[in-house]
Order: sequence, then structure tokens, then C-alpha cells
Amino acid sequence: MADDVVFTPVRQLAERVRARRLSPVALAETFLDRLERLGPRYNAVVTVTRDRALDQARRAEAEIAAGRYRGPLHGIPYGAKDLLATAGGIPTTWGAAPFKDRCFDFDATAIVRLDAAGAVLCAKLAMVELAGGMGYRQPNAAFTGPGVNPWNREAWSGGSSSGSGSAVAAGLVPFAIGSETWGSILSPAGNCGLAGLRPTYGRVSRHGAMALCWTLDKLGPLALTADDCGLVLDAIAGRDPADPTTVERPYRYDADTPTGRCFRFGVLRGITDGAEDAVRENFMRSLDVLRGFGTVEEVALPDLPYDDITRTILFAEAASAFEDLIESGAIAGLTAPEDRYTAYARDAILAKDYLKALRLRGVMAREADRVLAPLDALVAPGRATVAAMLGSEVRSAIRGTARDVMGAVGNGAGLPAVAVPNGFGARGLPTSLQFMGRAWEENTVLAAARAYQAVTDWHRRHPADA
Amino acid sequence: MSEAEDVRAEVEAMLALVRARYGSRLDAEQLAGVRTAVEGIVQAARALRAVRLTNADEPAQPFAAYRSEP
Repeated sequence: MADDVVFTPVRQLAERVRARRLSPVALAETFLDRLERLGPRYNAVVTVTRDRALDQARRAEAEIAAGRYRGPLHGIPYGAKDLLATAGGIPTTWGAAPFKDRCFDFDATAIVRLDAAGAVLCAKLAMVELAGGMGYRQPNAAFTGPGVNPWNREAWSGGSSSGSGSAVAAGLVPFAIGSETWGSILSPAGNCGLAGLRPTYGRVSRHGAMALCWTLDKLGPLALTADDCGLVLDAIAGRDPADPTTVERPYRYDADTPTGRCFRFGVLRGITDGAEDAVRENFMRSLDVLRGFGTVEEVALPDLPYDDITRTILFAEAASAFEDLIESGAIAGLTAPEDRYTAYARDAILAKDYLKALRLRGVMAREADRVLAPLDALVAPGRATVAAMLGSEVRSAIRGTARDVMGAVGNGAGLPAVAVPNGFGARGLPTSLQFMGRAWEENTVLAAARAYQAVTDWHRRHPADA
Repeated sequence: MSEAEDVRAEVEAMLALVRARYGSRLDAEQLAGVRTAVEGIVQAARALRAVRLTNADEPAQPFAAYRSEP
């Protein structure tokens, strides 16, 4: 098959598959070959699921030939972050050496739903060990090695969904599933020049996904465009009795934006403080673009310790979720030296302080909603910096070495956000723009991101050597 | 006691707890890393405690009484 399917958005692949101008089997073969050939270059892949993929692709091809087309993901290859359980002897490693041979006997709900949509699972993708919950400080924090950025192979692809980011950016899969507790979808999307969607907490079932923090974890797509993210969310969203945090709010992706829609955007005061020059400059240029189809106004949140609220919840829940691993000393088997001991410090979190963080989270959620209510989205740089270099320390709001009010509020309050590329900064690395909306407003933030991508071409640029 | 001395005392108390539980597993370099992490936790906790809430401000966390069917 010609390589013209690589770096082609799901929307366009789907049109060709539906019209039977593109064979799902040939499509799967193309991406399986790229995963096997190029995956190691980026440390992007844990397991190539060739047999399962070809079975699914053959089934898709037969169904479509018989007139049973399931929808836009039918016959489309994808990769899943390796914290989603998969049956059939496919390991689910959580990126951590102590679990590198562990297998489950069931599929996570997100995988089941993608199966039902006809998508073709081609790979389990690399990730920072335990989704970064043990306090890692540098990219080499997975038994598969550091995630390598396709835009600059001396730079990091981001964490913790590092393989999901590099695999889509390198054209190894058309889309991938990642997870975000605080930054783990938006960070690799931004670092790798992709669209990444963090859904509202409770929108997508986490059943079968590794638990890092029960009240913060979300699953969402990384893809070439915001539109593709909507197509994927449509397939994976919805109530699941196996995950009681999911809600009875049926989701249907709405890809139609009324012509001439005028969006109303807000920018938090001081949001670019501490950002790299190129990030700030690209963001200011993005605001000019947004003014072409909307208004932009400065807004403010009350002075609350947002980062401390979300950080305290994250640390306490992660320490509990991995209590066995920590108490037993098995964290000594993790890859990053700092992951082998940092979590011990979390015994210093008092129950009263964790509960205070949960009480303040309610205040934070109400204040964020008050600010967002008259707006379509808050906009901000996706990240304050371009990707870190592989040998360097990563600045992180989770560890308190950087500030990330958008991430702290967005994750702490469970709000949806989508990041899209908006330029390049130092060392040829991408920068990004994020749109964050009110709870359950994925369609609004996706519409805004689509409008931005309709008048920019950053998402059409791809790494030269991929 | 000054604010800085307060913080230091709290860090030392918490660090003593961590050391009592896990000290045998930690070398000097790791213990220094744990100290830095404890300092961050204590600073965050003090920032949370500095915000006043009312009795009506409940944790933002769902809990539902459970009963299996029927």
C-alpha cells in the first residue's frame, strides 16, 4: 500500500474505507509494519498486537463488504496506552518493570467500545511507569526507555502518555488512547504537535485502566486533528456500570459548527508568566487568529492554592492506589532512580489535609464554572515550555517545580480540554494551544479547536524523518 | 516560633515518621530526596490550611449508600 495513508486524518481514512477504496487489512498491515520498523526508534511501543489486529481488520473488511459499516472508526488502526487491560495474552505493563509480564483476562471498557466501533488495535503503547505517579523527574522513567520525540530525537515525547504521543506524531498509528491524571494527554500532544483531548471526568469509563488517582484519572484520544478526537470520543464515551464515576449523559460528537459562529474566549490573567519566549509569542499570535472568529477577554480566578489542591489529592490517592508496591519496597524495581523512593514521603500527608484539598476542590470547581459560564472556553498555552531534552530534568507542576493553573484547575475540577499545535519553539519542537471548557462541553471546545485548525496549518506539518 | 521555624519543625516531624517506617531502605542520597518531597508536601498542606472554609463546605467526592439488588 502506498504511504499516502500515513499522516492522513481518521476522517479521511474513514471515507476511503467506507467507499471500499481502502482495505482495512492493507491499512492494518501498513501501520503494523511501521510500528515494528519505526516503533523502536521512538521507544513508542510495548507490544505490537499483530494477530489481534489482522483478525479485527479481516472482520472489518468482511463486514464492510457485506454492507455492515459501523461508523468512522471501522477498520481504522489505533494504539492504546499500556495501562488499558487487554485479554488474549497481550501483556499490560503499566510501563513498569515489575509488571512487564503481567496479563489480564479481560479488555478494558475503552478497548471493548473501540472494538464495537470496528477499530483495529495494533499496539500497546509505551508510557511513563505507573503513569508518572511515583514522582519521576526525567524522561528515562519506563522500562521501555524514554519516549523519543519524532520532531527531535534528542527530546522527550512527553509524559505520561509518551508512546501515544510519539506513535501518532511519527505516523505509526492514526490515533491513540492516552490517559490524564494531570497533564498526561495534553503534555504529549503539545510536545509532539498533535491534538489531544482530555474529556470531562466521568465521560469515559476507566474500568480496566490502571488506577493512579480515582478522582483524577481520565482516558482520552490523541490524534492528528481535533475533529479526529471527537470521532474517537464518540466511540468511547458513555455510562459503564463497571465504573460508577461514569454518568448518564449520552455523548454524540457534533462535527457541525454553524457558519459564522462567534466564540467567546477567556484568558486567565498572567497565564503566560514563566512561559518560554516562543511559547508566549506563539500564544499571542494564536489569540490574533482566535479574534478572527471570536472575542478574547481577560478573566481572573480568585486567589486559591490550585496547584496545592490538585497535587495533594494526586499524591495521597496515588500513595493509596499503590500501597502494596510502596509498602513492600517493590518500587525499588522501577526504572527512574527517584521513583524508587519518592513515594515514601507521602506518608507525610495527613488525612485532614487530604480532606481539606477535597473540600477546596469543590470551591475550585464552582469558581472555575463561574468564570467559564459566559465563555465558550478558556484558552492558554498547552505547555509553558517545549519538550524537555532526554537527559534533562523535567519541569513539573506535579512536583512543584513549575506552575500550571490551567492543569491544576482543569484536572482538579474534571473539566474537558483539547490541545492543538500552534507553532514551533526552541530546537524545532512544537508548541500548543489549549481550549478548556465547562464540564460536559467537549463539543464546544472541539468546535473552537476545529475553527482554529480550519484557518491554520500547524496540524498538517509532520516530522521530516518519520 | 517564626514561620520558617514552624515549617522546619513540621518537616522534621514528618521526616522522622517516614524515616521510622522506611529508613532502613534509604541511603543518604535517597533520604535527601525524600526530605525535598516532604518539604513540598508540608508547604502544600500549609497553603491548604491557610484557606478558611465554612462548616457547609463538604469534600467534593461522591459517596452513595450501597445495597445489592433486590
